[in-house]
Amino acid sequence: MRPLTEEETKVMFEKLSKYIGDNIKLLVDRPDGSYCFRLHNERVYYMSETILKLATNISRDKLVSVGTCFGKFTKSIKFRLHITALDFLAPYAKFKVWVKPGQEQSFLYGNHVLKSGLGRITENTMQYQGVVVYSMTDVPLGFGVAAKTTQECRRVDPMSIVVFHQADVGEFIRNEDTLT
Amino acid sequence: MQRLYVGGLSHTITQKDLKDRFGKFGQVEDVELRTRKDDEGVPYKTFSYININITDADLKKCMTVLNKSKWKGGTLQIETAKESFLHRLAEERQTAEQQRLLPPAAEDQKQKMLDSLSKAGVENFTMKAAVPGTEVPGHEDWVVSKFGRVLPVLQLKCQKGSRARTLKYDPSKYSHNIRKLDRPSADQSFSDLPTPVSQLTWELQGGDDDISKKRRGEFPAYEPPKRKKSRTGAVNSLKAEGKPRLKQSVDPVALTEAAQVTNGPKPPSAVRPAQRKGPPLTLSDIDSDDEIHRIVAVQSSSHNALQQEEDEDKLEVVGLDYLVTPGRARQQQKGGDEEENDYDSADTDELLASRKPPPPRASSPPPPQERPTLTAGNISGNNTDRKRKTKKKSKAGEEEDDSTDAEEPSTQKRRDAGKLSSQKQSKKKKVLPVVKPSSSESESDDEEEEECESADSSSDSDYEAMFSNVTRLEISLADLQKLAEEFQDTSETTVPSSLSVSEQETKPPKKGTTPEEILAALMEDDSSEEEEQQQSKKKKRKADATTQLLPAFKGTKVLNEGSETEEGQKEEEEGEGTEVKKLKVDHKATSSKMNGQKHTETESSEDEDEEEEEEEPKKKEAVVKNMAEKAESVSSSSSDDEEEEEEQENKGKVFKTMAKTSQKESSSSSDEEEEEEEEEVLKANQTVLTSKAAAASSSSSSSEEDEDEILPAKAAVKAAPPPAPHRAKEEEARQRKANIRRLAAVQQRQKETEENKKLIQGALANLDAPAAGAGKHIVFGSDDDDDDEEADSDDEQQTTSEIKTPKKTLFQDSQSETDAPGHKNTSTKEKLSGTHLFGSSRAGHKLMELQSRFGKDERFKMDSRFLEQNEDKEEESEKKKSGTEEEEALEEERKKSLSILQSVLGISQHTSSSSKATSKAKTFRDVSALHYDPSREEHAAFETKTEETKKESKAARRKKREEAQKLPEVSKEIYYDVSGDLKAVFGQTKEEGEGEEDAVAVAEKEETNWDQEEEKKKEQEEAGEQVEQLTPESSLLSAEKEEASGFKFSFFGDDAETGSGETAEYKIESIQVPKLSWQQDPRFHDSSSDEEEEEKGQEEEEKTQSTIIAKIEETPTKTGLFFFSPEDSRLTEGPKLFCRSSQLEEQKEQWEERRTELRQEYRKKHKDARRKLKTSVKS
Repeated sequence: MRPLTEEETKVMFEKLSKYIGDNIKLLVDRPDGSYCFRLHNERVYYMSETILKLATNISRDKLVSVGTCFGKFTKSIKFRLHITALDFLAPYAKFKVWVKPGQEQSFLYGNHVLKSGLGRITENTMQYQGVVVYSMTDVPLGFGVAAKTTQECRRVDPMSIVVFHQADVGEFIRNEDTLT
Repeated sequence: MQRLYVGGLSHTITQKDLKDRFGKFGQVEDVELRTRKDDEGVPYKTFSYININITDADLKKCMTVLNKSKWKGGTLQIETAKESFLHRLAEERQTAEQQRLLPPAAEDQKQKMLDSLSKAGVENFTMKAAVPGTEVPGHEDWVVSKFGRVLPVLQLKCQKGSRARTLKYDPSKYSHNIRKLDRPSADQSFSDLPTPVSQLTWELQGGDDDISKKRRGEFPAYEPPKRKKSRTGAVNSLKAEGKPRLKQSVDPVALTEAAQVTNGPKPPSAVRPAQRKGPPLTLSDIDSDDEIHRIVAVQSSSHNALQQEEDEDKLEVVGLDYLVTPGRARQQQKGGDEEENDYDSADTDELLASRKPPPPRASSPPPPQERPTLTAGNISGNNTDRKRKTKKKSKAGEEEDDSTDAEEPSTQKRRDAGKLSSQKQSKKKKVLPVVKPSSSESESDDEEEEECESADSSSDSDYEAMFSNVTRLEISLADLQKLAEEFQDTSETTVPSSLSVSEQETKPPKKGTTPEEILAALMEDDSSEEEEQQQSKKKKRKADATTQLLPAFKGTKVLNEGSETEEGQKEEEEGEGTEVKKLKVDHKATSSKMNGQKHTETESSEDEDEEEEEEEPKKKEAVVKNMAEKAESVSSSSSDDEEEEEEQENKGKVFKTMAKTSQKESSSSSDEEEEEEEEEVLKANQTVLTSKAAAASSSSSSSEEDEDEILPAKAAVKAAPPPAPHRAKEEEARQRKANIRRLAAVQQRQKETEENKKLIQGALANLDAPAAGAGKHIVFGSDDDDDDEEADSDDEQQTTSEIKTPKKTLFQDSQSETDAPGHKNTSTKEKLSGTHLFGSSRAGHKLMELQSRFGKDERFKMDSRFLEQNEDKEEESEKKKSGTEEEEALEEERKKSLSILQSVLGISQHTSSSSKATSKAKTFRDVSALHYDPSREEHAAFETKTEETKKESKAARRKKREEAQKLPEVSKEIYYDVSGDLKAVFGQTKEEGEGEEDAVAVAEKEETNWDQEEEKKKEQEEAGEQVEQLTPESSLLSAEKEEASGFKFSFFGDDAETGSGETAEYKIESIQVPKLSWQQDPRFHDSSSDEEEEEKGQEEEEKTQSTIIAKIEETPTKTGLFFFSPEDSRLTEGPKLFCRSSQLEEQKEQWEERRTELRQEYRKKHKDARRKLKTSVKS
């Protein structure tokens, strides 16, 4: 477990900023204590200082997970967000998409969000903007990338993809063994 | 017969002439005479055809005789003509007919073969039930193929090269993949026949949708736009027809909605007709208010079912500031539990207001025909009651639930039916329950809605059939009216509540406990009661998971509900005292139950009610064995409606016995709630005895009583309603008792909480004891109190634990708090002490541990005062670096990440962390509020040591004056520094002129210095000082200032004060950005006014040298050019670099020479290198 390098931090922040924009600031310096990002097994964990201290007692090879896993770095040093980060993305998300009840399941099975399932969308969403997907009852279901702008979404035909799926809470079951 | 053409006739010749003429040779049958005429009608040519029966000899003779003979002025020309076409046609037909008569020989052969085949069992070249490959008997070259077809075996001649050979093709061997294309249909005859060509068509069987119709060329007849009247009519009919029809393709609204709902890829056929049939209702179409109202009513009725879908159908676009509230939706779905969370902090009043059901519409008197139906239903109601009783005894909770659920709507309906008498069955279908159609409650609600809409009545018989086996409630019109009136009289915050019919909240007990057990439990202390409640709550919630929210119905039910809510609330208060949460939940639950609408039914309060009710009947049974009591017991387990019924029954049948029993109960029962029950029973009795009006009033009074009870218990949450005028004395007495008890209970509660608080405080004090200093400064503010109150509801252990948690959090933030000021302080001492506040002493150690264990809490921040006071103790202890280092590392990391973030986002972030900011806010001191405190060390920074500087300044001033006359020696490099320092020249904004003058003066001094080289050496220092003046503006100013005012300007701290003499060490450097905590940085303590004054002083001094200044013109500052002066040598030299100095040819020659030399040199070197390499390899 080590702090992120500058490059890694940059990559990760760039990814995160697609979803929560400058709200990352709120993650980095929180009023309720100091929180930090740590790299462990190519995964980035977000934890409070207290947990960090506690985690130092556990040897590196034995440590499976600590804090909240935000995602992992690929071999090519790209950052990939995991669904476990949803807890921190959802409250700060800039752009949101709500799926209709009929499409909830489809999305939770890993499918993209189609226009027909799009119930609501934040205005001025740009293409390829990271969005957090909610159910119509405002339960965050996951996140993805807007395939169309809001304006395009109005016009597009019902079977076209509106949001590319990236992660959904169904992964807690589907990828139970790999999620940390 | 021969046909002859005779030409060259004269015009006058007639047919008879011709006949006579040719009659000699044969028999003339017909003469056809033709004459050709020109335009004027003058004949120019005449000829004729003659049919004549003539032999060939005669024809020859005739030809020779008459041909080319002259006759009547013309030369005859006779030729044989073709037969007349008519004649030929006739002949052909004749021959054809003849041929038809005789059968041809080939057909004979075919027929023969067919006959033989048919003999062998082949019909129409098919042999049924024959295996492919079998030969047809008697025909070697015919084989049965697939599907029983008989096919010939072919002998194919194959010419391969020169010789020819025959191949035998047996079709049966190649028939396996043959498939029948046309399905054998039911009528074989039709399928056998191929479709005649005339029937072949391009027509597509497109169906009824209009697009295919249009394709076929059928266009719908023009429909003039519908009159508005018809539309309203449609609306009405729609109302009457109900939901299913609405869903179907009748209503334009529903249709369009349905069409939009799918919103997916859909064949246009589904959508189009709908759109065509009725234009969608838009507001612009609707003119009259009347229509709008009607339409709105219809839509609202259909809204339940369609709301969700409507939401789905349109794509919402929300702004960036759209608030996501997960609680809202869940609240809708799950009802009670969620709302409990939501209204945690709400006051009870707010709760009441929010929970208050909408103003009851049904307070209006029901129509008069209610009475007969109700009485009729009464008997049947008894029967069902008995049935239910048996069920109850069996204690099958779930079943009971179902039964009550089923009956609730029915009773509701009955009541409604009295008013409206509409056909219910169709209605029942009409409104779909929003989420789950299974629950009967929702249905009932829907029906209520429909009643409100006042649907027309059509089938009373259906209705009768439906409710034949359903309990009835006796409510007279008068009763209801009175209730309504009284309701209006008692102006109360919860308006509908006072409307109550004296009906008790009844829910089937879901606990497995018997009434006796419940009684025992009630007798026990509060805590046990609470536990029970919790248990029951849990169970109820499970049961209610299926219930859903429905739009509020304002009906007669509201009458009952109000009282229920009141009672429930009161009881909760009794049971739970100050517990806020539960009360809310319960209250909400009760109200919702009453409404039977938006909210889930059943919470603990209701349970209590039920329990009580159960107890009551039991006792009654013991005392008096009566049918009415049984009924009551049964009804108590069932819904509130039934409760009402029960009461009515009591009225009707056993009022006297009831009175007795009630009194007995009152004497025996110790519990207040039971007392309430009794009161109610009493009231009921009263009503029976006196009149129905009296009953109503009493019921209202009961509700008022409830409210009264609430008042003391809640400590005046509501305004007291006017006391009921006709309250019985015994009732009052009981009431008082109950109140006293309740108060006592509340007090006890408070005591308990107090104790808890004390306990906790004591525990905290113990904890803090080692770090007593720290502990003293933590004030348990109002927050803590709140916590305590909240925690009251739980049993003691829980409360203590809850309050411990805040206590734990107490020291959490303290860490960050303490180190933050530590960072702030310039003095390292403070810093260290702050950071190691806990780490140093033994006490601190303990705190540290706590700290590590607990989370952080904003409320329990340790302020700086705390830090400062502790500092003395902590300073003694040794400082541990490790902790601080870690924190510093974290801090650094954070800063770094923030900077990265800044770069990523491209936005200027406030690098100051928020946590830092909070601490900063702590340490920040207002400028205006800042007071100089001589006792404080930090404030020493504000002090200025005047004596030294004054001396200095005087000396300096004297020196300066000397300088002005005898200019000091200055080295050349420094001069360059000065001129190169743009800041000195241009950096000044205000005092530009002066700055320039300074520079000029110095330059001039230098020049003069060169002139008078023999000038004394002692002024070297002053010269240095002068140079320093020329360096950054600030330093110059500071030096000047010292001279001018004798006031120590503390830009550079102590150095500035002391080192005015040895200022040579000053270097040109940009001023650092001042640190944030300004009061510790004395640099900011300066005033521009001082500077200016000094400047002026300097100016005066310099004016003495003004004559010299005038001479100097060559300094770059005067020219106003930035880098170059006009006569700069570089300007002349520079261009030369770009031009050739010599001729191109010369250069070429030179290069050639050079080249050869270079080459030789290179070769030589190359060789040497090779040689070296070789030698090295060898060695």
